[in-house]
Amino acid sequence: MNKAVSKGTKTVFTGLVFVLLFSFGAFAQKKKPTPNRTPNPNLPKVTRIDEVSIKTVLKPNGKPLLVNFWATWCVPCIEEFPDLVKLDTEYKGKIDFITISLDDLAEINREVPKFLLDMKARMPAYLLRTADENAVITSITKDWQGGLPFTILYNEKGEIAYFVQNRVKPDILRAEIEKLLPKPAAQN
Amino acid sequence: MKRKGILLALFLAAFVFVSNSDVYGQSLAVGSTLEDFKLNDLSGKEQSFSGLKGKKGTVIIFLSAQCPVVKGYNERINQVAADYESKGISFIGINPNSATESVEWVKSEAEKVGYKFPVLLDVGAALADKMGATVTPEVYFFDTKNVLLYHGAIDNSRDGQNITSNYLRIAFDSSLAGKPIEKTKINAFGCSIKKKASEAKN
Repeated sequence: MNKAVSKGTKTVFTGLVFVLLFSFGAFAQKKKPTPNRTPNPNLPKVTRIDEVSIKTVLKPNGKPLLVNFWATWCVPCIEEFPDLVKLDTEYKGKIDFITISLDDLAEINREVPKFLLDMKARMPAYLLRTADENAVITSITKDWQGGLPFTILYNEKGEIAYFVQNRVKPDILRAEIEKLLPKPAAQN
Repeated sequence: MKRKGILLALFLAAFVFVSNSDVYGQSLAVGSTLEDFKLNDLSGKEQSFSGLKGKKGTVIIFLSAQCPVVKGYNERINQVAADYESKGISFIGINPNSATESVEWVKSEAEKVGYKFPVLLDVGAALADKMGATVTPEVYFFDTKNVLLYHGAIDNSRDGQNITSNYLRIAFDSSLAGKPIEKTKINAFGCSIKKKASEAKN
């Protein structure tokens, strides 16, 4: 009898130890810091596009369209960005301005929006991923071989008005934009 | 008369359009012949294209000491150069970024990478201008008569992951087998060549 009780007690005790250990393990696991997968709500949204959807993005919507191709790994792209943000503020409502990043897809929720936030950039932002870069580059203009940064200005009909590879010269770009804007009516 | 006027207007419009963008000189077209040139290597010794040519073909590759895309390709560049050197195709590296990359920097980067081929300094990017090169890395593959056979990208992956088209190797293999090269010009995203100091500082 005693032997039986003793055996039962032993079994209950072993079970309790097991449950306690398991609970502690589960608790400890809960306490383990997990990477924060929730995107920072303050980060600007960056939309992924490919060789098909870029065509829609590059269609002007009744206004001239300015497009800047860039990447966080491209030093002159980063250097010229403050000038582009200023131009965006200056021509807000008069032209549309979008940016297209060529960063790795992994950066769509990390370095790209972080940089845009740091720059206080409010232009709609895209990240292009395509297996056929040649097709995209060639479709934009035959005079571009893919060097970044690259900035292109379309008139409201979607015709190329101006483009520049390498850093923009703000005064030149401003003059090109002005050419596309409606002239103020002459006063009598 | 009216027709002539329209034609003239169209011609002028085309001229205005072409001159309305900041583009470099036209790129050397596939099928064109490259004239011999001389540039100094990293030790200051003058080298010529004709002196560095391969028996079965020659590659001119525009490089940069700072471009992350070039850095991502360096291992593959060395590998492809090593693989085809024994088959008679020689590589010549050209650094055209004297506007932003010092000789010491270029030398130090070349030593770090351990390029398996000579690297020449294109001061003022005169050769890049002549060839219409605008991006690094950018490859020009010539046959033994200095005729351009292939121009552009090495493969279709900047980070080396999931390469599905080895453009340069395919061009080499076709040329060595005496077959026409199917894709002779492939563009890819990379770093702009800074041809003038003003482009880096303006």
